[in-house]
Amino acid sequence: MRVVIAEDDALLREGLALLLRSEGFDVVAAVDNADDFLTLLDDTDAAVLDVRMPPTFTNEGLKAAETARQRRPGFPVLVLSAYVEDRYAAQLLAEGAGGLGYLLKERVGKVTEFTDALRRVAEGGTVMDPEVISQLLSRRRADDPIRTLTPREHEVLGLMAEGLDNDTIAARLVVTETAVSKHIGKIFMKLGLSTSDSGHRRVLAVLAYLRT
Amino acid sequence: MVELGAGLTSLFFLLVALALVPVLVLSGGTLVVPLIVRPLRWWALLARERSERYRGRPISSAYRPIPDSATYGELMRLAFSRSTGRDLVWLVGDAVIAPLVSLLTIALPLAAVNALLVPAYWYLAPANDPIASPFPVTSWAAAAWSPLVALGYALAAWWLVPGVASVLTRAQAAMLTPGRNEVLAERVTALTASRAAALDAHAAELRRIERDLHDGAQNRLVSVVMMLGIAERSLETNPQSALPQLRRAREAATDALAGLRTTVHDICPPILQELGLEGALSSVAGRSAVPCSLHAEGLHRVPSAVESASYFIVAEAVTNLNKHSEATQATISLETDASEPAQRLLIVVEDNGHGGATERPGGGIAGIRRRAEAFEGTLEVTSPVDGPTRMRVELPCGW
Repeated sequence: MRVVIAEDDALLREGLALLLRSEGFDVVAAVDNADDFLTLLDDTDAAVLDVRMPPTFTNEGLKAAETARQRRPGFPVLVLSAYVEDRYAAQLLAEGAGGLGYLLKERVGKVTEFTDALRRVAEGGTVMDPEVISQLLSRRRADDPIRTLTPREHEVLGLMAEGLDNDTIAARLVVTETAVSKHIGKIFMKLGLSTSDSGHRRVLAVLAYLRT
Repeated sequence: MVELGAGLTSLFFLLVALALVPVLVLSGGTLVVPLIVRPLRWWALLARERSERYRGRPISSAYRPIPDSATYGELMRLAFSRSTGRDLVWLVGDAVIAPLVSLLTIALPLAAVNALLVPAYWYLAPANDPIASPFPVTSWAAAAWSPLVALGYALAAWWLVPGVASVLTRAQAAMLTPGRNEVLAERVTALTASRAAALDAHAAELRRIERDLHDGAQNRLVSVVMMLGIAERSLETNPQSALPQLRRAREAATDALAGLRTTVHDICPPILQELGLEGALSSVAGRSAVPCSLHAEGLHRVPSAVESASYFIVAEAVTNLNKHSEATQATISLETDASEPAQRLLIVVEDNGHGGATERPGGGIAGIRRRAEAFEGTLEVTSPVDGPTRMRVELPCGW
């Protein structure tokens, strides 16, 4: 899989390239700004973008992700950020269509999870940082139906919002897939969400619910 | 004499102002500030300076600053402010009384001279219209009294002129001196502005620290985590390649520590606490690549916030001159002026470089200005092309 990295910090950029290459990714280029990444858009299958890059060091990475996906709808982008901001997550997810990820930078330390996340994004999945989810989950009102969830259901909801599919959730929690399906059914019932959705749409539904 | 001229000029200004009234009314008052208030302030400030030269005591003006692009409301407030009213009253007084009184002071010495000359020319006057100064001079005997009269005039002038001048300037000073409330209002305005500058400086400082931490320690630590992750994977697959990755992780961690040290140092320089201002500054001068001499002996104690600000101001100035000036010699001098009422810390940094330093938003000089203004201080930079560059900062520290 051909990947472009855009990260302005030289050491991190080289490290990311090294990491992805040693895990079998074809790193086409590692650039230090958003514009260079956009010129390489047609030669690549996915991108890993830093949020803060020159010239303004605010949200160049997010803007570049939006531009890239306007030119190539559904182009897989994994955005890395020094701190998580659910507003950024919402901005990324707003146009839908899958193939999006938003992770804290330090997640790269768990190499296999990180490369899994990048693969999921490249396949059109959605990846949300657990930190974003816990920010959203912790900001709930007292009368929120989420408070009626059991601790296990709470856990499943979080993993679902991170973009994991039922298999992976089952593996993470060391339970059977049927057990996970049952939990999800109950969660959707308690929150009043439609159960027919799957994949990216499911993440969107859950995140949309969490943001209200 | 000067007051006569000034008084007549005042009269002229007054007439011009009166002539302008219809224009001002027609323009709805928007022209009052540019046409009246500005010249009035300028003229009144000159009068204040004259008075200060004569009496040796300054008169404060308590003017609210005129904003560059003022709204109509602001213009009206300026036009009908107390300070404008006071200046107008003074202008009327100055235009009417000052010329009259000044004429008297000029007339007396002239009369004395005239009386002295009377014996020389009284016989030239026609007999039916003799010189009458102050009595008709019709004979040599009468003319002989004339020098005595001259003496009288001279005495009167000698006694009256300084008195009149002093009364005149005192009256003028009284008319020009703002009331206590206005001085307080002016002080509040200045304090509000300096408080806003302090908040801005504070916010800019926080942004800078955030940037430093993000670009420095935070990114380095991410690198550490990443390198350790890569090394961990290597240990599973190819243990030999793990060692260099572990080394890189350690180097990144060392970098992170160095970055943190710099950031922490910049927040509150420990050297300032250890060595005091003079010691900290001599270390700044010592680190400078351009040879730098420091004159900061016998400084009075200043508040630690001012010490901190002056440390950063000098450090920034030295960084600037090292980066841009291509100077071969620089001087830093600091002195405290403890004379009442305004205690000040004066900082001057000079170099013999090629000059042409300009203030850009976000640049070094702008940073210095921000820090200075946070303490109601001032910054002057003179940097002609071909140099030399001289930066002068005054920080009040007795408030």
